[in-house]
Amino acid sequence: MSATTRRATMLVGLAVGAAGLAAVLAQKRAGPSSRSIAPRGEIETHIVAARAFNRSSALLALSVLTDSGIEHYRGSFANKAMFTPLVTSTLSLAAGLHGSADSGPRRHQARHAIYLGAAAAGTAGTGFHLYNVLKRPGGWSWNNLFYAAPIGAPMALLLSGALGAVAERLRDEPAVEPQLLGMAAGRALGLLAAAGLIGTAGEVALMHFRGSYQNPVMYAPVTIVPVASALLAHAALAAPRERWVTRAWLRITAALGFVGMGFHARGIARNQGGWRNWTQNILNGPPLPAPPSFSALALAGLAALRLRETEK
Amino acid sequence: MTSIPVTRYPGYDVLSKRDTPSWDAATRSVIDERLATPRDPAFLNAVEWRALTALCACVIPQRSEAQPVPIAALVDAKLAKNRGDGYRDARLLPLRDAWRTGLAALDEECRARFELPFASLDAAPQIALLEAMQRGELQCGAWNGMPSSLFFTERVLHDVCGAYYSHPHAWSEIGFGGPANPRGYVRMNFNRRDPWEASEASPGREEQARKENKNAR
Amino acid sequence: MLDDAQHHPRGKNGRAPNVFRAGAWTPMREYQPTEEVDFAIVGTGAGGGTLACRLAEKGFKVVAFDAGAWWRPLEEFASDETHQEKLFWTDERICDGDNPLKLGNNNSGKAVGGSTVHFAMVSLRFRPEWFKSRSLLGYGADWPLTWQEMWRYYAEVEDALKISGPVNYPWGPKRRRYPYRAHELNAAALVLARGAEALGIPWAPTPLATLSAPRGEAHPCVYRGFCVSGCATNAKQSALVTWIPRAVAAGAEIRDLAMVGRIKTSEAGRAIGVEYFREGRWQFQRARHVVVAGYAIETPRLLLMSANSRYPDGLANSSGLVGKNLMVQSNQATWGVMDEEIRWYKGPPSLALTEHWNYTDKGKDFFGGYCYMSQGPLPNAWVATQNGRGLWGHALEAEMQKYNHQAGLKIVGETMPQERNRVTLAAEMDQYGLPIARVTYSLCDNDKRLIAHSLDFMGQALNAAGASEVWNENDDTCHLNGTARMGDDPRSSVVNADCRSWDIPNLWICDGSVFPTVGGVNPSLTIQAIACRTADRIEALAARGEL
Repeated sequence: MSATTRRATMLVGLAVGAAGLAAVLAQKRAGPSSRSIAPRGEIETHIVAARAFNRSSALLALSVLTDSGIEHYRGSFANKAMFTPLVTSTLSLAAGLHGSADSGPRRHQARHAIYLGAAAAGTAGTGFHLYNVLKRPGGWSWNNLFYAAPIGAPMALLLSGALGAVAERLRDEPAVEPQLLGMAAGRALGLLAAAGLIGTAGEVALMHFRGSYQNPVMYAPVTIVPVASALLAHAALAAPRERWVTRAWLRITAALGFVGMGFHARGIARNQGGWRNWTQNILNGPPLPAPPSFSALALAGLAALRLRETEK
Repeated sequence: MTSIPVTRYPGYDVLSKRDTPSWDAATRSVIDERLATPRDPAFLNAVEWRALTALCACVIPQRSEAQPVPIAALVDAKLAKNRGDGYRDARLLPLRDAWRTGLAALDEECRARFELPFASLDAAPQIALLEAMQRGELQCGAWNGMPSSLFFTERVLHDVCGAYYSHPHAWSEIGFGGPANPRGYVRMNFNRRDPWEASEASPGREEQARKENKNAR
Repeated sequence: MLDDAQHHPRGKNGRAPNVFRAGAWTPMREYQPTEEVDFAIVGTGAGGGTLACRLAEKGFKVVAFDAGAWWRPLEEFASDETHQEKLFWTDERICDGDNPLKLGNNNSGKAVGGSTVHFAMVSLRFRPEWFKSRSLLGYGADWPLTWQEMWRYYAEVEDALKISGPVNYPWGPKRRRYPYRAHELNAAALVLARGAEALGIPWAPTPLATLSAPRGEAHPCVYRGFCVSGCATNAKQSALVTWIPRAVAAGAEIRDLAMVGRIKTSEAGRAIGVEYFREGRWQFQRARHVVVAGYAIETPRLLLMSANSRYPDGLANSSGLVGKNLMVQSNQATWGVMDEEIRWYKGPPSLALTEHWNYTDKGKDFFGGYCYMSQGPLPNAWVATQNGRGLWGHALEAEMQKYNHQAGLKIVGETMPQERNRVTLAAEMDQYGLPIARVTYSLCDNDKRLIAHSLDFMGQALNAAGASEVWNENDDTCHLNGTARMGDDPRSSVVNADCRSWDIPNLWICDGSVFPTVGGVNPSLTIQAIACRTADRIEALAARGEL
């Protein structure tokens, strides 16, 4: 690795690490952000959870915006529909940032509509990607799962929309025993986050399999994350009580997302030509924006856990 | 006879990528050396040189207005270096002898028919004579037993076309991506090009292709 | 200067080039010429490089010689076909017979790492029945090896080279999954896939010895397409970046720019060492064993050149078969033009293949099999193909404009062993004062019927894939094998199953020359597997005191 490459990698790694640290620290503070409307300590727990879900939705949307931007550019935007995730994820990102600062106890109609749009786009995207895989010679085959449109990627957009939509619905609920999807809100949020975690782990398993697990650390996301998902699902389904193991595991998962981004940066740097060959390596190399989707889901899981712990 | 085809990749030049990640130092030094091949012969004598130049113009006709590729000079440089291909058909003479014999025999055959050396003929009779060589019909004594068809395929076509398609202008002409280290290619599917590749001027998008080729780097 | 490696030996003064870092060196053990090393190996390619590594790792003292240069791929491999001809054997050889061979980029390298430095990385196993071609399939000769033991060595080599192959391979007995995943297919490969699906035969991404993911200090493939002109990325897992560095790390010495001209024998008829030309003078290295691994032309050439009063017909030649049974593989192709842009210069040349006609015996009027693969010739290689078609002038230039729309299918086809196809010594001398090789080759009727069948089938496949202007390239061959065949009878073979020559117990041959039949797949994986097996056998024999 050249000196320039080493420097660039370190800078990216530091930025990523700082972002990750900030995200984890933000979660550690039980209280609301300084831009909240109500005075400190008076925000209801379910609103705190809603804002956390808005925030996670925003982080997911950022990941989708960057990742689909890069990958659809690589696909030359051959089908005009490929602009859709860029548009919807930008809107979802804006909605998420707005919502994360909003302590209002009512669903925000515009944000909710944006979130539903994102979820719809994510679902449609999965259909498009499936079609892309099936129409190539070989159809449903390992080679196409590796190299055609990634089958699990649009799910991140679906999750961004789902997390945000759920956050808006939660705001409509009363502060006492809020309900969602026919069950206690904390349970619903926990199950949603757990589903998101296991789905994303599946996509990573496929992609790291394509990379032949050439570095043992590539096993980390496909071992740590499913455990986080299982712990969270259990915490959501079983009787509410303090779950410090689940909490710790979710924090590790959140950090893992940013650590993964650092490893992906290293992966780009150690390819032929390193950062200087960025016009190839950012497109071909391990996807930089993908790992933080774990962090987003783990942070959402932590918020769900917090809410769950207050339930009966 | 058809005319020299127009390139499908107007404005595309692999040399414009010289300072991009597609070219490395090793490649730059090799191509610089090739582009600096002396225009005057280092090996053939004046008579042979004249014949070779005319021969190259027949095998690879080039437009006179563009910067022509100095094919004869490249072939002569190969003969001066005398590095062989690593094999030789038993009926062929070694590299240098084959060319000297072949060029002399070509002029001889020409004089026998037209009382002129090869270079002094018009294009049409030159081509006709080369076609006869390709069919193995030239058999005068000057060939020294070397079959003319073999000389034509193994030496003339092999060395002349090899020289032309070793030149960056030829790569640009056919839309080849050119040197590629450290940067290779990303988009490998049908009808996809990376921004540093040639853009094809298919009917209706000539202007766009030209613009894309100007920015291909 | 970029060709410095061809003028100044690098394997000396106790160090060897570290091909993974620009300008770096790695320590290398050096043996004295007067010291009797355990093994002197002539050639460092798929056979010699692999064997040098495995023997050194087992604790033997090994010196391997190569006439070629020790390249540094990262810095010295330019993106230029013509310049990179420096990787091929460019010393003169004479070719005759009914179908005189074209040598060079299809079959003859000259470098530390041998022909693997420029090969197309296709890494296929033999069909199991081919090891008993005579008994089971009725042609050629039986190998004195079983497919089961070769299966184990194939796996060892595939793991050593981290072959990038499909998760499920459609042909042959079940095998362990390839260590790395197959590469993305380029458009040229997708044309093969389309055609195969249209005709209802299976196809697969080709198992290739080039990385689809990082490995140690080597980079994964960047799809630059200059594979057969030398990989500047170090993604290609040639012997130069795999077996040779391991050999050096295990204590072997590699002497580059060292042309072995003669194997000397003692009064008692045993090999005692090799005479080699290096740094302007002839030198001699004593060795307990000599292994010849110069590939199917240089190996018999050396054995014949080493003739002496005790062995007037050359070494290990009591059977008279040294140099005979030269087999190539047919390399005919069908080419066509597609409506879509293909741009086949992106990526390795043969990203997809079908071995259908290796494993199907019905519907053939010939013995043997062939596979076919997608193609991606660069401009010089492509114009040579057009020249072979007879095109020049305006017609050629018009054809060349179609370059980015071309697609093609090319076979690796089995040819029959024929004693009349052989390597002999010519009267002409080379730059070392050694007689050059004469290579005589003629196809037989069976070979021609196989070729005709393949051209017909590939034409159908290309048309089914949507190509137009489909034409046949009728005259091309690849690879070289058979000139020192192995067998279980000294009257009809040169070496036994352990690659040990029948006549001289301490003279071995370990390269493609030992193949009794050539099969319908590229030979490199099989050569390396044989070398791994030979190393194990040598270790076992040594332990029993039978060395």
